[in-house]
Amino acid sequence: MLLSRVLPPLQVWKTEAMKQSSTPRVCRDNSFTSKQPQKARLRIVLFLLVIPLLLALSLLFGPSGIGLPDMNSPAGGAILSLRYSRLLMGMMTGAALSASGVVFQALLRNPLAEPYVLGVSGGAGLGATISILAGSSVILSLSLPVVAFVSAVLTLMVVYGIARQGSSGQPSVYSLILSGVIVSSICSSIIMFMVSTASVEGLHNVIWWMLGSLQPVSTGQQLLSLGLIVSALFGIWLLSPRLNALALGREMAHYQGVHADLIIVSGLLCATLLAATAVSLSGMIGFVGLIVPHVMRALFGPDNRRLVPLSALGGGTFLVLCDAVARTLMAPVEIPVGVVTALAGGPFFLIILQRRMKQAWIA
Amino acid sequence: MNENALTFSNVSAGYKERVVLDGVSFAIAEGEFVSLIGPNGCGKSTLLKTAAALLKPLSGSVALFGQDVRHLKPAVRASLLGVVPQKIESPMAFTVSQIVMNGRISSIGPWGSPSSLDHDIVERSMIYTDVSGLRERFFTELSGGEQQRVALAMVLAQEPKIIMLDESIAHLDINHRQEVLQILMNLNREKRMTILLVSHDLTLSAGISDRFLLMDKGSLIKAGTPAEVLQADLLSRVYNCELRVQQDPYTGYLQVSGAQDTLRRRRKLGKTVHVIAGGGSGLELYRRLLIEGYEVTTGVLNRLDSDAEAARALNIRAVLEQPFSPVGSDAISEASTMIDAADYVILSSVPFGSGNLVNLRLAEGALNSGKTVLLAADIAGRDYTEGKAALALSKRMLSAGAVNWQTIPELMSMLQQHHTLNP
Repeated sequence: MLLSRVLPPLQVWKTEAMKQSSTPRVCRDNSFTSKQPQKARLRIVLFLLVIPLLLALSLLFGPSGIGLPDMNSPAGGAILSLRYSRLLMGMMTGAALSASGVVFQALLRNPLAEPYVLGVSGGAGLGATISILAGSSVILSLSLPVVAFVSAVLTLMVVYGIARQGSSGQPSVYSLILSGVIVSSICSSIIMFMVSTASVEGLHNVIWWMLGSLQPVSTGQQLLSLGLIVSALFGIWLLSPRLNALALGREMAHYQGVHADLIIVSGLLCATLLAATAVSLSGMIGFVGLIVPHVMRALFGPDNRRLVPLSALGGGTFLVLCDAVARTLMAPVEIPVGVVTALAGGPFFLIILQRRMKQAWIA
Repeated sequence: MNENALTFSNVSAGYKERVVLDGVSFAIAEGEFVSLIGPNGCGKSTLLKTAAALLKPLSGSVALFGQDVRHLKPAVRASLLGVVPQKIESPMAFTVSQIVMNGRISSIGPWGSPSSLDHDIVERSMIYTDVSGLRERFFTELSGGEQQRVALAMVLAQEPKIIMLDESIAHLDINHRQEVLQILMNLNREKRMTILLVSHDLTLSAGISDRFLLMDKGSLIKAGTPAEVLQADLLSRVYNCELRVQQDPYTGYLQVSGAQDTLRRRRKLGKTVHVIAGGGSGLELYRRLLIEGYEVTTGVLNRLDSDAEAARALNIRAVLEQPFSPVGSDAISEASTMIDAADYVILSSVPFGSGNLVNLRLAEGALNSGKTVLLAADIAGRDYTEGKAALALSKRMLSAGAVNWQTIPELMSMLQQHHTLNP
């Protein structure tokens, strides 16, 4: 069923055959149905085939060298399992950030929207910083996603509240983004202040976390985050047909029988949950949430029913690959993965976006 | 079927602290083709938004086929009522068929993807509006007319029983406008679809509508057949300009047009008006006189006066004097030559002091030489001369045949009357 939603409608040509026998249907002009959806289908199939290969490839990289570790030695097994957990961390974080970006862009109808711009990441980061500095018990690692989510939601509410001032009813996208940027910089200033006054031990933890890294967290936190991310992704996937309707604006979506405000609020909550969980897992990793949705849209079109799962897959894989590069390139020193995402991913994605300008966001 | 498709019962609606609709009541029967007309800002769009439950009425209720629209589930409402907005914008590269598929959104369950029935309905809507050839094109790349037809296809895909169009055809070229109207008429005649069209093209609407609703300032002021609503005096009052309604001798259609002769006459009147102004009191006079087609001169003005600036900007011949100095004899003689050449002399509501009292004397001279002089009323409140010299002067002029004027529209009609009597 999932596949049937991800792939473009088969019916278009399936019904060609059925048409002969069935009651007179609307006549279709074949010349228009052929090329485009087939190409898109092919592209999606290729993408789905390449993803596992890339993920497997990432397992071959690590500070201990390129290639599979020696499986006969106990160290080899440990290395491989470490690479597995980093793969899982990367998949979770990348998928959460990209899918969250897709939703923010769709809801705000703005190509600049992403978790950072709306202050969601900043708020989650502030919450996480506070709890990291406040203590370092085991409970902490479990409470981290929750604290991050709560503070991200609070931030979003503040942003929304500020943006709403002076506007009758719904705030405009511009005021949302503007107040998001303001609140976001306030959050990062507070983080800076706390870092500058932190104890040495706390400082180390916070700095590492802020730079963004896919160092595996505790199993408990991983499971909790996985649960949160999967359920939020599922929620977004359920919303995705309605997100398409919202692309024409809240008013038009309302006319078409979409419960627009409900969709907007639940979409914002799911996207916030995703971003906050990603931040609590691996810190502030930029670029993924903004660019991956654009690239996926350029490759596979703006239909959110496809875009949500494909972006999650693509964003996860992209982050996993970046992490493989980050931990291998200057081993044993690990480059922060956020550095690699922008440095390596930037030019690559720019080429894709330039070649498929039309399919990308033409406003 | 005599059930009403759409019923407004004493509906008031609006936004924060601003009531836009004020106690509107009407009913549209199923299968009717109704045009909603009225000047800009009279509340037509608000009415549509209230009908579609996008706005909650402050009081009163809206019913779709007898059911209160606020208690309808969104999906049910969408199956009854479709709205084509003025313009839809898609920020992303959606294709035409993806856009039209949005019309099926409320029929697709939370799990499902569109069924083949949905695809068939989308196809049918696209064929009906002649956009099926555009299906793989990006919506953003289409022309305005094509986009509007796609929007209509999207709304048709909802399969609603009523379609409301919010000035959707206003910016289409004549060909596409006819085409969209033809589609609407077919829907109305063949499928008994109820149509509410917000329109600014009264002539066009008159030809196709069963009924007109005329709104002004948030109220419904007239409902009835095109012939009943399209009354020249009523429309002229509502639209605040001179309108004329004629019946086409061949088709019997009503035609509403602006009074063309006044437009033409405004080209050139061949009459000159000399305006005595100052301190910004002349600007609006200059503007209106120029629009009406008069030749305008002005003076004597202080070189730094805002009216002097305005006269320069509007290319009006003006007599100017140095700032902070009494009006010299050169300026006076120049101004009196100008006044001699003028047909009328108009005094604005400029305050008078010892510096510009000479202007009033010039006007008196004009009056004595037989010119028509029009004085802004209530000079007493603007008289800063010693011993109320200006007031006394103006009283003398009024008794010698000068005329008082209150408002600029009144002044314009006085002038017009005058020169139609004395061509």
